[in-house]
Amino acid sequence: MYQYFKDMAAGIEAKIQQDPDLPNPRKKYALETARLGSRLYSGKDTVAWCGIAVPFDLLNAMGITSCFVEFVGAVLAATGMAEPFLEEAEQAGFVGDTCGFHRTVIGAARKQIMPEPDFLIATTCPCSGGIAIMENLARIFNKELFVLNVPQTDEPRNVRYLADQLKDMVEFISRHTGKPLDLERLRRAIECTNKASATMKAAYRLAQQIPSPTNGRLLINFGIVWPLFMGTPAAIEIAQAYLDEFIARIKNGAPGVADEKLRLLWIQNRIQFNNPLVELLEKEYQTNIVSDELNDIYWDPIDPDDPYPGMARRAITIPFNGNIQDRIKHLRKLARAYQLDGAINPCNWGCRQGTGAKGMISEGLKEIGIPVLNLEVDCVDKRNFAEGQLRTRLEAFIEMLENQPRPQH
Amino acid sequence: MTKVNIAKIGYACAYTPLVLLAAGGYTPYRILPMSDCPDQAGQLLHDNLCPHVKRILDRAISKDLPDLEGIVLMNSCDAMRRLADAWAHVRPDDKIIFLDLPATADDAAIAYFTGELSRLNDALSEWCGHTITQRHIAASIALYNKLPPLFSRFSERLRRGQLKGGSARMQTLYNAAMSLPFDNSLETLEQILAEPQSKDPQLDSIPVFLFGNVLADPEALRLFESCGARIIEDDLCTGSRLFTSIEFDENRDVLPQISRNLLNRPPCARTFDPAQPLKMAEDILGRARASGARGVIGQTIKFCDPYLDRLPAVRETLRQAGIPLLLLEGDCSLGTIEQQRTRIEAFIEMLD
Repeated sequence: MYQYFKDMAAGIEAKIQQDPDLPNPRKKYALETARLGSRLYSGKDTVAWCGIAVPFDLLNAMGITSCFVEFVGAVLAATGMAEPFLEEAEQAGFVGDTCGFHRTVIGAARKQIMPEPDFLIATTCPCSGGIAIMENLARIFNKELFVLNVPQTDEPRNVRYLADQLKDMVEFISRHTGKPLDLERLRRAIECTNKASATMKAAYRLAQQIPSPTNGRLLINFGIVWPLFMGTPAAIEIAQAYLDEFIARIKNGAPGVADEKLRLLWIQNRIQFNNPLVELLEKEYQTNIVSDELNDIYWDPIDPDDPYPGMARRAITIPFNGNIQDRIKHLRKLARAYQLDGAINPCNWGCRQGTGAKGMISEGLKEIGIPVLNLEVDCVDKRNFAEGQLRTRLEAFIEMLENQPRPQH
Repeated sequence: MTKVNIAKIGYACAYTPLVLLAAGGYTPYRILPMSDCPDQAGQLLHDNLCPHVKRILDRAISKDLPDLEGIVLMNSCDAMRRLADAWAHVRPDDKIIFLDLPATADDAAIAYFTGELSRLNDALSEWCGHTITQRHIAASIALYNKLPPLFSRFSERLRRGQLKGGSARMQTLYNAAMSLPFDNSLETLEQILAEPQSKDPQLDSIPVFLFGNVLADPEALRLFESCGARIIEDDLCTGSRLFTSIEFDENRDVLPQISRNLLNRPPCARTFDPAQPLKMAEDILGRARASGARGVIGQTIKFCDPYLDRLPAVRETLRQAGIPLLLLEGDCSLGTIEQQRTRIEAFIEMLD
């Protein structure tokens, strides 16, 4: 895997060098992802496997190469390699009713293709399955596990609780590395985070234009993977590349999807394995997935002099956390900002957190005139992927959208 | 107790601080997933969500509930989170309080959960119209602390094969204690304990340890026994896990003590010690051995991630220890257990 990521990084670097003056946002984003992959597998870095809500800028400031575990499931699915790992997990007793991301991760750990971490940091958000998998990984790797209990709301008492846990986490990490947190380095990391966030916020704002400069592929998985680079210059560079790309596209009259007719929001996770749905939407129906649920800067700038409350608030307010009304509120905000026509909710089989409330999400968006297509799919396990059926449902949804008046935003 | 008040507060999780509800003069009412209500929860909640939660929601939608003054829900898992959302959606006029519940029991988590209990206490005080004080809560704890020793005596009788009606009757008693006014429960339990014990213990069936989450229908326990099993001990959230004594020092703040007790009681799979990952497997092994069971039955609800993702470790640990294990998955209906009768019979025959 180390060689795979190293070669991937070298290949992307070479491509960027062919046109170094272009923004190349997707390539720069992929390059950082590949670099992270190679660092995880290098055997040289201090590695932490984490939950999604961990503040990666803090870990980056402490020199920890860290990643959320679902990343492994996504990479294996995207490269068409998930199946043997899913089977390995299932043979070990992890049933098919559980999350495909997590089963793949367990299979990968059992088959020893996951880098051995130095420690693990779990978060109770977003899901009960995720934290159970972290407990399993701690046992498989026989490494120490730290747990961050993420409260449901950002009232001051809750923010304080999580902020204090983050300080405990720093002590936990320092005990492993033998190095205390360098406060000046943390300060710089938070400044990077703030700059990257502001830049990306500007890029998202441009993506809201009609027609949108983005498309259904440019920002796939972005809102969940990009935070891994928070606190580093790479996060700024990637955000700047997207901003530059969108500025150039708008200036040159080159929208993300030619003749854009319909604009959709993708809720929760993308389908990670290769599939034709996005291409179908864009090419045959001029329908653009202009945003994903997590592609948003939903947090305020973090105070570099007192970063813990801000980091805690950011973790608590991740749209997957808390009550469903808050989540719907966020989805509605995106619907209005992007002037959407509809939304797709891939109800990832095995994801209680994401799909559990599908009916309430559908109702919540319908109330503001946004129809939702609930797709029954496993985002990682393609063994049951019913392409024909999904294609038919997607086409019927688009036809329905085409024949109804546009929502008044 | 503050005053006679038969108003009920609904709850759905074994981590609910019943003593606070009772301190407000309320009868805690466990909303069990036992009902013939039509399946309507699927309109709001996905097919892959916990049947326990969906049946509770079905009861809420169908108004198959007694009058409730309010409902207390715990953030114990994804499904319970969604139940809180869906309950507010289908019964917007109900008073609901949703308590955060840390997954760990370290000092910081206990302190935080104390704050959540304080929030509940404030809400209950508002609902019942007077401030619930330390004195009220202390009195409530004193009452509730009477239950665990009584249930221990029932357990002991069950283990010796001297409880008439076996584990099905035990479950009936648990169910009553979960939902009836405290005095009624206490009186019933004491009356039954006063009954003469069977001089002819029924020890011909196979002793089995039962663990899992929700199995509240006494008929399900009767079915196990009809297959030749004798459930001599359980670790269920609708069973032994609900009633544990609270060690209480009247000279110290009461809420931190309740918090510590709830987070440290025999845990549901969702609560764990990060320093001992998947210790749940060793705990089940230890309890099964200590109970003298010849085998273990794990009964879990479909789509319950906290259990589903930890069962492989339980299976492996018991396999290494040479303790036979039967894993059953249900949807809270008797029908799903009945469908597994052949498997249960085969398992018991294998243990014989």
